[in-house]
Formats: sequence, C-alpha cells, structure tokens
Amino acid sequence: MKLFCRDQLPLALFWLAQMLLVPLLYWVSGENRPFSIVLYGMSLSLIVLLLYLVFRYTQHRKLYARLSRPEVQPGNHLGPMGDAPLPEAVDELLQLIDREYQEQLNSHVQRLDQHIVFMNRWVHQMKTPISVIQLTVQELDDEAASSIQEELERLRRGLELVIYTSRLDRFEDDFYVQPLGLRKLVSQAVSENRRLFIRRGIQVDIGVDEDLSIYSDAKWLMFMLTQILTNAVNYTAGSGKKVTVSARRSGEATILDIADQGIGILPEDLRRVFNPYFTGERGRQYHESTGMGLYLVREICARLGHRVELESTPGEGTTLRLIFKI
Amino acid sequence: METLLIVEDDAKLAALLSAYLSKYEFRTVIVEDFNLVLETFTASGADLVLLDVNLPRYDGYYWCRQIRKVSLCPILFISARDSGMDQVMALENGGDDYITKPFHYEVVLAKIRSHLRRAYGTYAQTLEERKLHSGELTLYPERYVIQHAGQSAELTQKEALLLEALMLKEGRVVTRERLLDVMWEDQHFIDDNTLNVYITRVRKKLKDLGLDDRLETVRGAGYRLSSPGERP
Repeated sequence: MKLFCRDQLPLALFWLAQMLLVPLLYWVSGENRPFSIVLYGMSLSLIVLLLYLVFRYTQHRKLYARLSRPEVQPGNHLGPMGDAPLPEAVDELLQLIDREYQEQLNSHVQRLDQHIVFMNRWVHQMKTPISVIQLTVQELDDEAASSIQEELERLRRGLELVIYTSRLDRFEDDFYVQPLGLRKLVSQAVSENRRLFIRRGIQVDIGVDEDLSIYSDAKWLMFMLTQILTNAVNYTAGSGKKVTVSARRSGEATILDIADQGIGILPEDLRRVFNPYFTGERGRQYHESTGMGLYLVREICARLGHRVELESTPGEGTTLRLIFKI
Repeated sequence: METLLIVEDDAKLAALLSAYLSKYEFRTVIVEDFNLVLETFTASGADLVLLDVNLPRYDGYYWCRQIRKVSLCPILFISARDSGMDQVMALENGGDDYITKPFHYEVVLAKIRSHLRRAYGTYAQTLEERKLHSGELTLYPERYVIQHAGQSAELTQKEALLLEALMLKEGRVVTRERLLDVMWEDQHFIDDNTLNVYITRVRKKLKDLGLDDRLETVRGAGYRLSSPGERP
C-alpha cells in the first residue's frame, strides 16, 4: 500500500495541478462562475480519480505486495501476480530470469558431479600402477627401494586425501553408522600406518580398553585416524619419541586422545589449524603440508556427530581429542 | 599343489602376483583372453580365483556370477574401488573376500591361505604345509620349526617371521625397516634394540644346527642370509 501510494504520488500531484488550472482559467477570462460549480466539477473529477486509483490498486495489489517485501523464496517464488499487463510482464521477466538461473545451476551441479566421478575414476586408475610399483619395489633391497617405498606411501596418502575430499560433497550417500570396537579400529589404523612410524623411529602406545565401543562409520573414522596419526608423526622430530593413543568413558561420551611429543602448535594458530589450506609457519617449516587434513577431520566429525578438540603446548606436544557421544 | 586363477587385466600386476605366489608353491594361471574367463577357469581347474573388478568387456561381478554357476570355489576380488558399496556388490555377486589396491603381497597370501583352509578344510591334512627352503635348511612358518640335516629347532613366532623374511630374499639384503615392518605386532612397536635381540637369537639357533655365519649383518643396510653354496 505504501509503495502504491508513493508510486501514484506524481499522478496525484499532476491532477492537483490541473484542478488548480481550471479556476485559474475562469478567473483570468473574467467569467464569474459561482465557486460552487467549480468545486462540484473538482469533486467529480476527484471521485473519478479515486475510482481509477482503487481499480488500479486492486489490479496490481499482488505485484505491489511482492515488490514491497522482496524476499527470496526458493521453490515457489513466483505466483501469478494478476492479469494486468504490468504484472504479467514482470511475471514473465522473473520467470525468464529464474529459468536462466536454474539452467546455470543445473549445469554447475552437473559439472561438479562429472568432476567428482572423474576424480574417483582417476584415483582408482592410479591405484593399479601404484600396486605394480609397490610389488616390484618389495622385491628390491637397496636404499633406493626403501626411498621409493616411502614416496609411494606419500602418493597413496595423497590419493586418499583427494578421494575423501571429493567424497565429502556426497557424504549423505556414503556413510553407514554402526557400533565399532574402538580398540580394534585404533590398532588397525596404527598397523596400516606402521611404516611411517618405523621410518621415523617413533613408538606407539595404545591404551584403549577392549570393551569400549562407539557408534560411527568405520571407513570415515579410519581415514580420520590416518590423518591424525600422520600429523602426529610428521610433527614429531627425533626418534625415540612416542605417540600415545588412549580412550576413556566420560559420562555420556567416549573420549579418544591421540597425543604426540612433537613441536606443538602456537596458541595463535590453534583455532586456525582446522581451516582449509591453513598450514601455518610450522607446516611450511616442517614438511609439505596441504592444510587439508585437520579441516577434513573437523568436517567429517561434524557430519558424523562427533566433536574434535585440540590442545597443545609448543615444544612439548599436541593432543587431539575425538569425542563420541553415545 | 593348489591352482590359482588370476583374472587381472594389468599384465604386469598379474605377472608379479603370479611370480610371488609361485614361491609359495601355488600353481598360477593367468587369464589372457578376457572373453574366455569362464573357459580358462574350467580348463585350469582352479581352486581359487583372484578377480579384478574393472575388466575389459564384462566386469568382475559378471564373471563372478558366471563362475558361481559352475563352482563354489573361493573367489577373492582385487580392486581399486574401496567404497562400502563395491564390497557389498562383490559379496552379493558371490565373492568371498575383497582386497583393495594397492596391497601388499602378505595380505593377498594370507587371505588366499585362509580361504583355501576354509573351503577345503575337510581334507586339510592333505593340503601341503607351507615350507621354505634354503639349501638344506627348511622353515615351517606355521609350526615355527626349522630343520637342517635331520636336526630341528623350535622358534618363537617372531623368530619365525624374521627368518621367513630373510629366507624369501635369500642371498640378498633385507633392510631393518622391512624386518621391523614384518614383525610389527598389533599394538607394540618393535624398536631397533628388540630387533637386535631377535637377530641374535635366530643366529644362535642357526648355529646350533651347524649353520654358522649364514646370517650376516650388512652395515648400514640390514641383514642377509647367504645362499648355501657361497662362501661367507
């Protein structure tokens, strides 16, 4: 209504000017018409104007209502706004824009899907050559072989990172929550990454009770543990140091601590390490770091309904804590 | 001797698997024409099938169903795909197990042996026990026993693992890293000192059997079990 009034204000002013012109003309021409006749004519004209305005308003009511509350409603954003020419034209325009927008959106979604499919295929294709190299290298014995083996594992972890990152976009299709024995899972994760520990001469101590179980997705949890253990080892310098994995029940939750004796994280970085692509001074200093590991851990935790916390004392070590609610 | 059928379209990978498994006294048959997987299977009389999922023409699931129509032998899938869905597909199409690439030899070997045991368990006695030879020396990795010239000695599990790794590469150097890897227990990290202790024990047991100096230390690299013929 307000918008309508503002829109019609020029018309009202225009009409007023005209209404002033008529008595002015009479006055200039010297015809002494009674003032009541002039007033009568003016009120008739006002009634016609009001009728027009009412008609106009009822015709365009919806349009004005929509225009004065310009909110985006996904889905049914476009009801018909009346059959007068103006609402129809606006309607058409909006529909055109909407269609265009939907098409663009669809093509983007399609491209993203294609990209994910391509990434998946590509990663899988890379796995066969890696298998071949890995098996070949196992037969060799010199120092070069062990170095190749190390690089292979980095490749493998890199590919895994890629595939899990692209899978994250389709998380809903790809998880299955079930009760899991924490001890078994942690042992498996440590065992799968044992070469990393051996190479760095870093010991592992698993203190997880046999009977602790949690609800989670085995595959995603495994991936997270690999990321966390890799971090723990990579940021621990010097052999003979230890990574300790321990778990306890605390009220409604089960808490898993993974503590290393590494370089630690500076307090000002503590929050930011979960940001994507954040590597920090230490990441650049120590080794090639993508900055994606902890980001993915946090994202996966959020989707699985777990919580992740980080505690660190620079120079002494870092403890990463996963909290599983029951 | 059991026959294994390897259905893998990467020729190198198939050849490597075949070579490795032959060391453990398996007969291996590699499929060469991927239109004739079923025919090759029937002709080979395989006891177990290693089946890749991505194959030319038909995929592994298809061939698994075909083989299932004529045989109940264990079928192990080997694939790069590792989503839960793929594993479910494999099992639903009649597969018995699923190994994801890239894998290590030991995983494949362990799964093959476990499935053979389960499938043909009824005549397990006739199933030949795993043995490794190095000249006169024989290791029975499952019983933790070594024999030499009519004498035998018992090993612990760790010592057996250690000796197996050394015997597999007889005459060549095995790195400390590799040995630590093989001996890694579920939860306990084995450090260099522990490895030294095991090496000393194995040396002593070999010595007791009259095999002096067969196990050498290669400075900065690892250990080597010399071949029987060569002079240490």
